[in-house]
Amino acid sequence: MKRSLCALLLGCASLGTAQAQHTHAAPLAPEAAPTPWSRAPLLLAARGGGRGAASIVVQNISSQAVTVFAPGGDPARLKLDYPAAAGRTAIQPSGATMGNYHWVQAREERDTTVRVASTVWYFNNPGDAPTQLLTQPKSELEIVPTPLPREHGHYRESERWRFLVRWQGKPLADHPVTMETEFGSRSTLFTNAHGVATIIFPRDFDPEKAQAAHDRPKAGFVLSTTHHAANRQFMTAFNHTYSPEPERSRSLAWGAAFSTLGALIAFPLLRRKEATHG
Amino acid sequence: MAKALNSLFPTLSRVRLTVQLIMLFVTVWGASIVGHYSAEKISDALPALSCAYDMDNGGYCVLIPLQHQMHHRVGEALVKAQEVGLKILLPLVMTMLTFLAFFFVLGKAFCGWVCPLGTLQEIVQRVGRRFGVAQHTLGPQSVGKVRPVKWLILIGLVFTLPLLTGMGITPHAFGNPYCDICPSRIATTLLTGGTEQFALNAESGWHFAIGAFANTLFGFVLIGALAIRQPFCRICPMLAMNAAFRFVSLARLTKRAHDKCDKCGICAKACPMDIHEIHTEHGRKAYHDDCTLCGRCVEFCPDDDIIALKLGPIPLFRSSREYYKTRVKGESPEGDVKPIKLVRKPAPDASA
Repeated sequence: MKRSLCALLLGCASLGTAQAQHTHAAPLAPEAAPTPWSRAPLLLAARGGGRGAASIVVQNISSQAVTVFAPGGDPARLKLDYPAAAGRTAIQPSGATMGNYHWVQAREERDTTVRVASTVWYFNNPGDAPTQLLTQPKSELEIVPTPLPREHGHYRESERWRFLVRWQGKPLADHPVTMETEFGSRSTLFTNAHGVATIIFPRDFDPEKAQAAHDRPKAGFVLSTTHHAANRQFMTAFNHTYSPEPERSRSLAWGAAFSTLGALIAFPLLRRKEATHG
Repeated sequence: MAKALNSLFPTLSRVRLTVQLIMLFVTVWGASIVGHYSAEKISDALPALSCAYDMDNGGYCVLIPLQHQMHHRVGEALVKAQEVGLKILLPLVMTMLTFLAFFFVLGKAFCGWVCPLGTLQEIVQRVGRRFGVAQHTLGPQSVGKVRPVKWLILIGLVFTLPLLTGMGITPHAFGNPYCDICPSRIATTLLTGGTEQFALNAESGWHFAIGAFANTLFGFVLIGALAIRQPFCRICPMLAMNAAFRFVSLARLTKRAHDKCDKCGICAKACPMDIHEIHTEHGRKAYHDDCTLCGRCVEFCPDDDIIALKLGPIPLFRSSREYYKTRVKGESPEGDVKPIKLVRKPAPDASA
């Protein structure tokens, strides 16, 4: 804080070297972690892909393709498959004005097991809201955010967010969901009567270990659950990123102090006589 | 029906206050009506300070996408020596076109009728008048010094600094510098119960310094609005942007020359932005850069058909002597309101 205050007092000190640029304030899926932090199927963001595209790493799941669902627009492009070579692929918005959020999914099917990894990717691409995208079933067993963070919004530590667990498009009540984070937190919770699991993001962030390529540190989390039906085990996972809670780097006391200073500067106006200035 | 409407909305100011309060709700808590994701769909280009940091609002202010596009698209593209063609500039053009589409109908009325910060300052000012706080107006000389500030903020904080940040010249803390000092960011998020934007960001020295300035400005505007009408509106870059396109819009203010104007000047006293030109000029020059289309000059013009609010060729509200006589009974042009008189309810007639 002393450092911050010095910077304020020094005012116009020389402009420092520009720091790393972030791509956008919108939430992004995580970049590829060097070591897997969960055994659940994951779809992680990797470096590269270029503007308007995303490079995706498929982890803990053997899948030959990644399927991208768009929120709206050309019906022929609402669901597109991207081949995944060596567990990597690059995805793009399904079309201009087809919406910001795209649902990304990979699937591994064996005799007795079906495993699904899913995430969402925010392309700065105007179009339909993701309401319908989230409502429509995209696999047998799903974990669906209700709702997703808005533009400029993020999942953050200590925040409460709701996720719907569906089987064949219908809510699964009283069903266990496991949450894991990149920083090692692990917990299991149960859905309510409406199939909704309310997650409180753990306050486990280690900003020094978090990827610092962007201005806002972020780390991965995954929600996973399983369900047995017709002699098969279905497992689904939804992964994304979360950020530190703002209070870690913000000071309410300083905010109040400077607001009071502004109020005090204006205060003499209230005491002076009515006047026209200049 | 007409009688009921007339008693509910006896003056243009009452109509405007009602619209302002509805729009305050929409621009601060509107997601509950228009839907969680609709803010980014509906707007991204609202010509009013509807803050994108407010996660409950119903639409975003145009200034945040403008800063982001300068920062992330134009600036980064320039530094990478990419072709600054349609792919880069198109989003910027789209934002401006969406802004103009909104603006085409209502124009500067977004400032006077929709902007949540404008409404809040007016509410504070009303409180000040009600409690007899002395009002300070700006004469032509002072107002002339303040007027360029809004253009400097628009050019400097909305366009130049984000662009320089995108090019890697200025630190990342200057990515969206206008939003970082905008009092609407603090005021509207406080109204949703969030203190995050009020708390100072101390993640770097620059963040802290910008935040310190922002909170000081917020405190000044909050208290200053008790004594000065619309203190922040006078330096708001949205006012400048709206001013740049004001003759494109259908909604506008018109004034015709009249012999009595020289000796009168009540319209200028009624103007919350201290626009003396509404008194001294007529025609195109009377519709000044700083006008917010609040309509107070029309309400307080004591002559028939001198000043009018128009939508294209259609007059929405015209000055009239009859209206003026009624209007000044409730409020002076400077905004002094009639004291509230508590009158004892008459006792029932014993003989009845």
